[in-house]
Amino acid sequence: MRQNTLFEQHFWKDSNRSLDYYLQNMNGYQAAQKVLKEMNPDQVIEEVKKGNLRGRGGAGFPMGMKWGFIPKASEKPKYLVCNADESEPGTCKDRQIMRYTPHLLIEGLIIGSFAIGCKHSYIYIRGEYVNEAKLLNAAIEEAYEKGYLGKNILGSGFDLDITVHRGAGAYICGEETGLLNSLEGKRGEPRVKPPFPAVSGAFGCPTAVNNVESIANVPHLIRMGGDAFAQLGKIDKSGGTRLISLSGHVKKPGVYEIQAGSVTLRQIIEDIGGGIINDKKLKAVIPGGSSSPILTADEIDVVYDVEPLMKVGTMMGSAAIMVIHEDTDLVKLLLRITKFYAHESCGQCTPCREGCHWMESILHKILHGEAKPTDLDLLVDVAQNIGGKTLCALGDAAAGPVISFVKKFRPEFESYIKGQKRYA
Amino acid sequence: MPKCTIDGKEVEFKPGENLITVAKRAGVEIPVFCYHPGLSVVAQCRMCYVEIEKMPKLQTACSTNAAEGMVVKTQSDPVVKGRAGTMEFLLLNHPLDCPICDKAGECDLQDNSFGHGSANMRHTEERRTYVDVDMGPVIEKNMNRCIHCTRCIRFGEEVAGIHEMVAIQRGNNIDITTIDGNPLQTEYAGNYADICPTGSLTLRDFRFRKRAWMLKKTSTICEGCSKGCNMEIQHEGNVIYRCVPRENLEINKYWMCDEGRMNYHYTQDEKRILNPRSGATFIGWEDAIQTLKDQINEKPLTVLVGSDLTQQELENILEYTKNYHKGSSVYHFGTEGVFTSAQDLPVDKILKMKSKTSNLNGAEKLGIKSVQEMKSASDVVLVFAGGRANVQSVTKKLEGKKLIGIGVYSLNEAESFSMVLPSLSFTEKDGTIFNHQGIEQKLKRAIQPKNTIKAISEILMLTANKKVKVGAN
Ligand SMILES: Cc1cc2nc3c(=O)[nH]c(=O)nc-3n(C[C@H](O)[C@H](O)[C@H](O)COP(=O)(O)O)c2cc1C
Ligand code: SF4
Ligand code: SF4
Ligand code: FES
Repeated sequence: MRQNTLFEQHFWKDSNRSLDYYLQNMNGYQAAQKVLKEMNPDQVIEEVKKGNLRGRGGAGFPMGMKWGFIPKASEKPKYLVCNADESEPGTCKDRQIMRYTPHLLIEGLIIGSFAIGCKHSYIYIRGEYVNEAKLLNAAIEEAYEKGYLGKNILGSGFDLDITVHRGAGAYICGEETGLLNSLEGKRGEPRVKPPFPAVSGAFGCPTAVNNVESIANVPHLIRMGGDAFAQLGKIDKSGGTRLISLSGHVKKPGVYEIQAGSVTLRQIIEDIGGGIINDKKLKAVIPGGSSSPILTADEIDVVYDVEPLMKVGTMMGSAAIMVIHEDTDLVKLLLRITKFYAHESCGQCTPCREGCHWMESILHKILHGEAKPTDLDLLVDVAQNIGGKTLCALGDAAAGPVISFVKKFRPEFESYIKGQKRYA
Repeated sequence: MPKCTIDGKEVEFKPGENLITVAKRAGVEIPVFCYHPGLSVVAQCRMCYVEIEKMPKLQTACSTNAAEGMVVKTQSDPVVKGRAGTMEFLLLNHPLDCPICDKAGECDLQDNSFGHGSANMRHTEERRTYVDVDMGPVIEKNMNRCIHCTRCIRFGEEVAGIHEMVAIQRGNNIDITTIDGNPLQTEYAGNYADICPTGSLTLRDFRFRKRAWMLKKTSTICEGCSKGCNMEIQHEGNVIYRCVPRENLEINKYWMCDEGRMNYHYTQDEKRILNPRSGATFIGWEDAIQTLKDQINEKPLTVLVGSDLTQQELENILEYTKNYHKGSSVYHFGTEGVFTSAQDLPVDKILKMKSKTSNLNGAEKLGIKSVQEMKSASDVVLVFAGGRANVQSVTKKLEGKKLIGIGVYSLNEAESFSMVLPSLSFTEKDGTIFNHQGIEQKLKRAIQPKNTIKAISEILMLTANKKVKVGAN
């Protein structure tokens, strides 16, 4: 099921991150060579569209389409910005790419920049990734030395610089417009859309923001061709492979690669993750980062990809799967998740600023036996007044777990309210 | 013109107009907090939800431009619930101290709460409180009342050209304050109080002086400089409590400067001369007019007129001197160093002009020469001024002459005058002025003048009469 992976086979060995390894074992920079010498930007975008490469940052937006939105005739410079903020709880796949295959990301940025007409690309990396920022900078330096970056790359006449910009530790700077504000040195607050970044992004110029994994897939896609890449995916509209961050109560947590749509959530947990630790019973799964609505143990026979998960009322998000066994207190867990979003809310829009904190307070009361019976419905109502009403999707991210936890595990909350269960 | 439908009504719109503007034209008011027509759109408060056909989620009207064929609902159940949700969120931490808040009565939070909120409070947790910073002499901060709409931050950056208001912290702890807690620096700080939709930023000058709903409002023009910002005098019981800008997109948009806003104070100052005076003694009007007649006789005179007077006043003075003092010369004065409208340049990129009087343009239109061209003066000089013109700048040129002041003077200004005949300030009269662009605008009387002062026209008429007879006012 997971042989000949595009990424995974190169993980976990420090020496793999060198340019030499990349050139010798990963057909390094051949895709860039092909693009710069043989293709025009439109052809590149066409190829990416053919490959059904969906964004890996959370929304699963088709990448070729996003690049196609960048206006061709623009007086202004254009930017390709790589989102390496990776802060959705449970997610740690981009880190693997930056640690072990940084040149894939650089090559992807070269190809993407060529496709949209960018001459200066930025990698916005979360502040906590100190080491990864160093590794990226070292790889970028190597690439400059060998003429893969800078002026006249590989004699093609195409120029590109890459700058690594470190964030200061805010989840909201992973939201693409919050990221752009932060990149510009402003407060990390999402911007109202429209205008979309494709029209007015970094420094007011047309910009495409893409996740690390999305970009790192591009060299693979170009090398094997869009059609072959699309066929790696075993489901409509999703090409290539997906890196999943599997955590929680599984025997073998880790970052794994699967062909898109090739397995169900159950297979991931049982076959890849080796089942539940101590052979406990499965209770629930958070399938796509902490913001995705929770699934019960009965709901995991679903193909693990964007659309099937959407159909069961949750989402694939950043493909971070958190497995939860029977001994877990979901009230505590939900409070922990809610606390995170309340803490990370940028505070500019009303429902998120006020509501996330209120949800946290109500959950705190429930957990500590101080809640009234009506508080549970109040909690859900507050969540509904946040969900779909905020300026950016953080509000939805905070509301989704609350609504789904209470809907699916209501008795657990009620037992605290009724005093049958006490906080320990 | 393209059309869209709002609450079943078809409305035309100009491309680029947002739904707030278009709805207003259809007679539909969409409640807002963060949106202000003079500032950028941020869609942060989430009050202006509307439902748009074919869109799954509620949209914010402020950030949505009207489009051909768009069908918008502003009263549907999801919209009503959405607004109620936002209102509830905004009041979670609000102190609800309307009874002691200066904003009450003209507060968007109060109005929108009444219109779209609920009287019940489901939140029982402790409220968030803040420590306030000292924002300097113009504005009083009360952060507990703030709803984080960021209008103030945007006003500073986008209009006043200064980044002094900021948001610090984040999420539920977000604080709207000044950089490093410094006092405000802009000379346009009063606007912060106008645009703040709550009582979080209030005008110190107005603090605890009057409930907003008791104020009567008179639309007039600021006389602070030649910009001619449109403003409203707000008064009650013949006392002015404050002045606020009025929208005029051609001139001042929505704003005015602090100097103009506070300018009215001198008209109510105890140092203002409100009785005819000869030297340091008060005299009756009959004596005053008789003395004036005796001193000026029918001789040619040097007459100085402030460029703070209205067109009508200037015309009266010109006519009077032409008819009764043949061979007189009339000069205008106002601001030192600004003698012609060519010298009247903007002080900044916002509103203020160099000319500190409002009608330099009008004086020039009447062919009055600048005081700079005055080579010599008659023994008795008549000085007419409306209160803003810089009197000291001309009296110091006229040492040794007998100066008679007619108009609005303070005790200090009148020190070198042998006589003062008090007249009406800009708040007490109607009249026309021309701003620096040549736009004609009207002053309106807001305050009933004291019966001890007289209009310039009346003073001149009494002086022209053969027999001095002053009737009761
Ligand atoms: C609150 C929030 C946090 C986000 N954090 C991240 C992140 O850490 N990394 C990321 O790649 N995308 C993140 N996203 C998604 C981005 O906004 C954006 O959709 C993504 O970078 C687009 O890249 P893609 O099209 O390649 O997926 C976040 C979105 C939201 C609303
Ligand atoms: S939803 Fe939350 S994080 Fe997003 S803009 Fe609003 S306050 Fe900021
Ligand atoms: S102080 Fe007033 S204008 Fe500024 S953010 Fe708060 S409510 Fe808005
Ligand atoms: S007025 Fe539209 S969101 Fe504030």
